[in-house]
Amino acid sequence: MTSITVEGPSVVAPRSRPSSPRGWLRRNWVSLAFLAPGVIWLLAIVVYPTIATIRFSLYDETATKFVGLHNFASVFSTTAILTAFKNNIVWVLVFPFFVTFIGLVVAVLTERIRWATAFKAIIVMPIVFSTTASALVWRTIFDLDPHVGVVNALEQTVSDWLRTPGAYPLNTAIGQTAATLASFNATGATGGTLVSKSVVHPGGTVMMGLTRISAVTLQTLGATTPIAPQKIAGGISGLVWNDFSPSQTSNTTTIVSDEHGLPNLRLSLVSSTGSTVASTVTNSSGDFSFSHVPAGSYHVQIQASNFQNAFEGTFWLGSQSITPTSGLNQTAQSLLSVPLIDLAMIISYIWIWAGFAMVLIGAGLAALNREVLEAAEIDGATEWQKFRRVTIPMLAPVLTVVFVTMVINVLKVFDIILNMAPGSSQGPATTLALSIYNDGFTGGIHSGIASAIAVILFLLVVPIMLWNLKKIKG
Amino acid sequence: MSSVTLKELTKQYAGNAALSLDSVSLDVAHGEFICLVGPSGCGKTTALRMIAGLESVTSGEIEIGDRVVNDLAPRDRDIALVFQSYALYPHMTVFDNMSFGLKLRKVPKEEINVAVTDAARILDLEQYLDRKPAQLSGGQRQRVALGRAIVRNPAAFLMDEPLSNLDAKLRVQTRAEIARLHHRLGATMIYVTHDQVEAMTMADRIAVINLGKLEQVGSPRELYDRPANQFVAGFIGSPSMNFVPMHVDSTDGDVRLVSSGGDLDITLNENEKAMIRRAGVGDVVLGVRPEHIDHQARTGLGMQLRASVDVIEFLGNDEHVHLTSGSHELVAIVDARTPLTIGDSLTLSASSEAIHLFHPESGVSLK
Amino acid sequence: MSKETPVKERRSAALAKRLHVPKFAMNVVLGLVAIFWLVPTISLLVISLRPESLFGQSGWWKVFTAPSELTLHNYATIFSQGFTTGGVLDSLVTSLEITIPATILVALISSLAAYSLVFGFWRGRDMIFLVIVGLMVVPLQVALIPVVQFYRELGNLFGLNPYGTIPGVIIFHVAFGLPFGIFLMRNFLSGIPKDLLEAGRIEGAGEWKIFYRIVLPLALPAIASLAIFQFIWVWNDLLVALVFLGGNVHTPLTIFLYDQTRSLAANYWIVSTGAVVSIFVPLVVFFSFQRYFVRGVLAGAVK
Repeated sequence: MTSITVEGPSVVAPRSRPSSPRGWLRRNWVSLAFLAPGVIWLLAIVVYPTIATIRFSLYDETATKFVGLHNFASVFSTTAILTAFKNNIVWVLVFPFFVTFIGLVVAVLTERIRWATAFKAIIVMPIVFSTTASALVWRTIFDLDPHVGVVNALEQTVSDWLRTPGAYPLNTAIGQTAATLASFNATGATGGTLVSKSVVHPGGTVMMGLTRISAVTLQTLGATTPIAPQKIAGGISGLVWNDFSPSQTSNTTTIVSDEHGLPNLRLSLVSSTGSTVASTVTNSSGDFSFSHVPAGSYHVQIQASNFQNAFEGTFWLGSQSITPTSGLNQTAQSLLSVPLIDLAMIISYIWIWAGFAMVLIGAGLAALNREVLEAAEIDGATEWQKFRRVTIPMLAPVLTVVFVTMVINVLKVFDIILNMAPGSSQGPATTLALSIYNDGFTGGIHSGIASAIAVILFLLVVPIMLWNLKKIKG
Repeated sequence: MSSVTLKELTKQYAGNAALSLDSVSLDVAHGEFICLVGPSGCGKTTALRMIAGLESVTSGEIEIGDRVVNDLAPRDRDIALVFQSYALYPHMTVFDNMSFGLKLRKVPKEEINVAVTDAARILDLEQYLDRKPAQLSGGQRQRVALGRAIVRNPAAFLMDEPLSNLDAKLRVQTRAEIARLHHRLGATMIYVTHDQVEAMTMADRIAVINLGKLEQVGSPRELYDRPANQFVAGFIGSPSMNFVPMHVDSTDGDVRLVSSGGDLDITLNENEKAMIRRAGVGDVVLGVRPEHIDHQARTGLGMQLRASVDVIEFLGNDEHVHLTSGSHELVAIVDARTPLTIGDSLTLSASSEAIHLFHPESGVSLK
Repeated sequence: MSKETPVKERRSAALAKRLHVPKFAMNVVLGLVAIFWLVPTISLLVISLRPESLFGQSGWWKVFTAPSELTLHNYATIFSQGFTTGGVLDSLVTSLEITIPATILVALISSLAAYSLVFGFWRGRDMIFLVIVGLMVVPLQVALIPVVQFYRELGNLFGLNPYGTIPGVIIFHVAFGLPFGIFLMRNFLSGIPKDLLEAGRIEGAGEWKIFYRIVLPLALPAIASLAIFQFIWVWNDLLVALVFLGGNVHTPLTIFLYDQTRSLAANYWIVSTGAVVSIFVPLVVFFSFQRYFVRGVLAGAVK
């Protein structure tokens, strides 16, 4: 192909021409016009405002009086904002490591299965959902009520299997113990049991009255009107009933007709030596009997298992601290406590972002030189040794980029807290970005403080991002 | 050092009807330097990787020493492989690259030190021990790859076209170095290359492989003087052998070769006539190497031809002359001082010993 | 070496065979992981397909034993509501009104700027590119307060205050999408041989024509990646929308969902349905342009 020289504004290299400003402009105005919208836009909305924020951070709330670093001092002495710092630190310490780790494990495992594409699509998908929507989903998952939250439902299944709730579960939240249920001829004994005060011999009867049993429980168990026990020769009979009559509230010794027997109570007959001789269960009217009892004196014991409290649920969305900080003062608590909801939110955030880590690390893995791994095999490395001493070091650049990107991401974390934390947890779980929003745009507007926080965020994020950019280009 | 034996080694990849390696049998003696040569895709690298344990065996056996190693992992076969692309560990120094294998086997540190510094000395790498591969030139990396193998003191060295990524000058230099290394270590070396010059200059024996089949194995001289078939004859030697299809005229009981369209006269000796008669063919392929064609007339046994000059390639001491004789094209090597111009008509000849005869269909040599 | 099967595949297969972990166990483990990963999404879908009365009474997972619980009632309610202000569909439309222009503008302006940076002949191109790329590090929180003020100034000067308007949000999103967009487009365009443009100039085409008819069509893959990434980013944004449209009558889906969590009554039927609707659009975009998305994610490590 022969070359053609054409005279025209853009073809000839302008550097060889003498540069006159007007000539240069005339030649390049189109090119500059292309660039102009972008540059102007950036200057107006990114560059200028950043400088303005720095200025705001150095002025007072009315933006007229220069106050130097006063706002920053305020920032570092306000507990609420320090809590935000603390939470960001928690996020930075926990999230990037685990999300990179999980991304690595998943990327490595998917190399070897045939349905890798479908699997990857499933893991990556959550990135596409808004963090808001994801937060709502996970809020439901972590809900306290086992009928709503999957996690608590699973916990309840396990808990019920390990410690089956009794027919009369105590409400430990209000400090109920077995002893508090005792009303007539019953007293709390060791191991959360109730024992009859009176001693009984074969041929005798015993009556025990309990109180504070809920009507719902009575109804569920099908409790009926109590019947006074009949004596049994050679045996012991008795009655356990709910000693609370709406009509005669002060009567706590005799049976009243609107009271109920207590069914399904597991009882033991305890001898004077303390050993259990027999056991039985009360019927729907609360009556029970032990037959063929050898001579001796006995107490009737209501087993502790009857009162085994039901599963109470873990308040994942709450601000109770994982770290032991109960003894500390307010400020120390704010700074050192790690609210449980942070953990819940981090788990949710990992669900969202692990796919990102997986994709990047997967690309890195695919780009690895296979022959180097073969050389390692020949050198004598086992699969694990290959992975640890060759694959991972070779992946180090990718892993670093992923890790650092996630650190930056988490420094700005906002949406998930706003949407996942219930009102009571918003304060303890707050982060820097959230503080900027709260102080800058809601309630009483403190633009000076908000700008100061923004500047701090900026100073945290920028060097990390610049470093990361360099790594990516390299 | 051990011997390596391949018995009817066959490889078929899943989904391929063709065999990548077809029943190759080879005995590599203890301490021998053997080259596997062949065109790209012939299966030589596959064979090497199977010996290394990086590819599975479809059928056949591989023995290293007296052990059958088919089911052994590469790490248990006591072999070292030098890759074409060196495959050095990019995150480790030269020293660590070379000592990695020993470290994995829990060799004591002093021993590792001695082994690595020894190898580094042999390969002139002592000043580079602290560098990473990215800071080395191609030739230096190649030597590190060799060093990594040497340090392992394996039963056999396997090399997969180690010189292909080097520039021409470095290639010649490194060729000599590897030959020296072999002499010094007395190691069993199996060397894969597509370059027959490398094979000819370095190997004790050469195994020529084509389309998965072993064509011939023998010393360089054997392959050169007595190629088993047309493929080997054409593969070994540069520029490659001339092939001229000839027609057998056996009227009146005597066997004569008639050129189909060229100006060639062949006078066969009795031996050659007997071979042709035995083969019972109506055509043969005549083969003669360019370097065996003389620029002179000849009487008696042998070949004489008249051809016109097409292209002259001046190489300093020799000239490679491309000739046309009727419908045949041949190359001859003549002294560069011969005055020649394009279009000249030349008389050339070759002796009986220089003439090869090949079966027209199977390509097998009739001699 | 056989040329039929690619080398890498064969080597992976060979390596996989010698794996100590059996393939079966791997598949089981990954299968469980996949199921775990899908549970949240499925839970959302199921909740939205169950009558609200069941919420809190029995877990959504019970639906597997009682599939008859499923109903489209919630969706029917939403659609019957139509485009009433503050409803799901209205918010959907608002989201589209914000996201589509923002995406188009970013794609267009980034391409134009990248063209200038790659094919322009003036010095300082690379410098300006580096500065623009450097702007990617600025977190948008830093710009919020001044921009709100800036909008107010504009209102005072020209009578047009973008604050509280959809264009106001779009302007902000475009600005913060440009550094990444220009980065992406510039990297792609520098791979286009300059000869193509020379050929166009020889034929007498002006710069705009060359941009529009030669470069832009060639750049479509990169534009697609950029567009998808930008679309999903803006669609899912909450903070910027809150700041600029917080008190507005028409709000995008993210604010709609956020409002639902703030209100005292837990209207789970509307929350879950709204969430499904908000997820649906980016999902469609994602599945339609999957390969562009992955490319965008790889390039978008910075965002």
